[in-house]
Amino acid sequence: MEDLFEGYTIGPWWDEMLESPSYPRKASLGLHEALRSLSAADLEERCAERDRSFRDRGITFSLSGEERPFPLDPVPRLVSADEWAVIESGVAQRVRALEMFLADVYGRGEVLKDGVVPRRLVATSRHFHRAAAGIETPNGVRIHVSGIDLVRDATGEFRVLEDNLRIPSGVSYVVENRRTMARVFPELFVSHRVRPVADYPDKLLASLKAASPRRARGEPTVVVLTPGVHNAAYFEHSFLARQMGVELVEGRDLVCRQNTLYMRTTGGEQRVDVVYRRIDDDYLDPLHFRSDSLLGSAGLLNVARAGNVTIANAVGNGVADDKLAYTYVPALIDYYLGERPILANVPTYRLEEPDQLEHVLGRIGELVLKPVDASGGYGLLIGPQASEEEIDAAAVAIRANPRSWVAQEVVQLSTVPTKVGNHLEPRHVDLRPFAINDGERVWVLPGGLTRVALPRGSLVVNSSQGGGSKDTWVLASDNPHFGGRDVDGVERTAAAALAALPPYGAGPDLGPALAANQQQQQSGPPCSAG
Amino acid sequence: MSWRIATRHVSSYRYASTVFASYNEARMTPVASHRQSVLESHVSIRPTAPPLRYVDYWATTVYAFDVHEPHDNLVVTGSSVVETAGAEVLNEDAGWELVHRPDVQDRYSELLLPTPYAPLEPALRDLAHDVGTSETPAQAVASVSAWVRSAMRYEPGTTQVSTSAVEAWRQGSGVCQDFAHLTLVLLRELGIPARYTSGYLHPRVAAAIGETVKGASHAWVEAWLGSWQPVDPTNGEPVGERHVTVARGRDYADVAPLHGLYHGGALEDLEVTVELTRVA
Repeated sequence: MEDLFEGYTIGPWWDEMLESPSYPRKASLGLHEALRSLSAADLEERCAERDRSFRDRGITFSLSGEERPFPLDPVPRLVSADEWAVIESGVAQRVRALEMFLADVYGRGEVLKDGVVPRRLVATSRHFHRAAAGIETPNGVRIHVSGIDLVRDATGEFRVLEDNLRIPSGVSYVVENRRTMARVFPELFVSHRVRPVADYPDKLLASLKAASPRRARGEPTVVVLTPGVHNAAYFEHSFLARQMGVELVEGRDLVCRQNTLYMRTTGGEQRVDVVYRRIDDDYLDPLHFRSDSLLGSAGLLNVARAGNVTIANAVGNGVADDKLAYTYVPALIDYYLGERPILANVPTYRLEEPDQLEHVLGRIGELVLKPVDASGGYGLLIGPQASEEEIDAAAVAIRANPRSWVAQEVVQLSTVPTKVGNHLEPRHVDLRPFAINDGERVWVLPGGLTRVALPRGSLVVNSSQGGGSKDTWVLASDNPHFGGRDVDGVERTAAAALAALPPYGAGPDLGPALAANQQQQQSGPPCSAG
Repeated sequence: MSWRIATRHVSSYRYASTVFASYNEARMTPVASHRQSVLESHVSIRPTAPPLRYVDYWATTVYAFDVHEPHDNLVVTGSSVVETAGAEVLNEDAGWELVHRPDVQDRYSELLLPTPYAPLEPALRDLAHDVGTSETPAQAVASVSAWVRSAMRYEPGTTQVSTSAVEAWRQGSGVCQDFAHLTLVLLRELGIPARYTSGYLHPRVAAAIGETVKGASHAWVEAWLGSWQPVDPTNGEPVGERHVTVARGRDYADVAPLHGLYHGGALEDLEVTVELTRVA
């Protein structure tokens, strides 16, 4: 039988499964052995089972407007208990520091007065929303959910690539990938002690309830606010609402009245306490942000200001997660926590600083250039893979607007064996762990979205750029005092079927788009000096 | 010398057909400062709506309210009694080295950056340096203010609420909002932190106590010269006891007296009246 690993090569990077083509790493011994016992035809059969599983549950991903099955590679990515301990504590540390930074920036501004972060960074951020200043957070949480993107460098060290503190997506695929894998490789879940991911929606709901402004007055009402079925992440919005057992609403289902938020239901209006919104700040409240937005709810921000609703994640978090703010996070960890960062950044240059700009201009061909504001891998320039024309154009662009770009050293992302055709090849991956802050502690889902760059040699893993994914198996520790002994209940993940989404009653049409009440200031010189 | 002034600012919106829902924020409450005490202030709304009162990022008092009863008119009235102080001379002590110090430039960075109403304009950049090259920033502020007055004709109706400084400058006319925005462009170009200031101006230098006169909402500028110093580029007079300060920000968008949205018919008529009475 031909070995699936035939011809597998390891370059100048870290391979997550193999130390060398014939020596698996300790945690991967069992998985490697199991994969070697499979023929190409066996693997093909497992993939057919995978596709059936996704199709049965209607799970797709929208790529540039086209619905495709979510690409899950059949080979899982393993994270050992020791490795996970570092990730878990490092992500939690980062979230704690970023929470304090946001509270500070929208509050007293000590970090700016102390000169740790220039005020200009905040003042020029497109995501610094002055309208969010003074809004109290009932339990001090602004980053209810975060996705901290990690990569693993050639030495095997995990590094933070970017922080996502607004509306990080992908967690539904973590849960669904696991359900599918339980069908594809049931025997591997028996031989591996994989920590469960299925309780994410419960943890999310608990944290949203903990953030309610009305905790003392009975059970809070939580809703998930979606831009609608045409949004690329609509599947996730409906998934989370269903799993949490809360209503999935659109802006037109909500109404703010006398600084209280209500949703319209078939049974009348019901007061809402917590909005888990999956709509960008710009579209959330046309009174304060884009006045042409029909996706949000007019007056929502002032309902939050009045203390009558919690918006999760909080408005204005983007000031802390653009790629320029990222460069200050190690300093913020030191400033707020007096700790050293457990997870390092990728070395990054700020192009607004003239010496760093000059340095970068001489090395564009060796670096990665990223637009500060964009996400999802859009606008990225990978120097070593760029043409001379692209490099020249990038030099002009960053000289013209240095605030809009950062430059990063290239990280040789780690690889994991990935099915390509009828055998396995190394493909580069990253990892997005999801963290939930309930105000008491920052809980990191043991797992996360492993994204795969499918073209050979590619370092761009974003699903919006055609990347794939892997199920991420965080292994439980053998030491009962460290990690958990909770083995993933395969039956539990495989059994839950997706219930049909109940149709949601639309509210009365309030007429055309919103119009503006405004007036010009018209005074002139005094008409008479009498 | 200080004055006590009673202000009454009425904004009356009349709609062509019934409005079913309306969301608004009123910035009509004078701000307390070292040169102005607020003795009384109140905002009333018709149809009645219980407002949320809060202080925004710029330290302006805001009344936020929504009206859900069907209505054809919305009337928002801001009333206050304030005590204002006499004019101060611009601080000549502050030199360019203070105003341009990196920590000062960072502290006031958001008041040095271009905005939609006060955007970057290459032609105004050269002009700013021609007009504003002076020994002290205070002289530059005075020169810029005088230049704006010479370059612009005061003519209501030639600009709208949305007109930018550059548009107004190109046509050479506008109202106090445009004079203030143009001044901001030039001062910021010179590296002088500057903010848009809105409020009221009592039109009479020798106002009789108890006499109510028609005024208008007014706008001027404050420049940072070691401390915030006001300058009124529209009429060139010192900012003193006749000026009532309500709100400050980067430009008009931060201080709009009434900002809102409504579902329903078109706006048929907007009437804004300001009445000012010197009471002491």
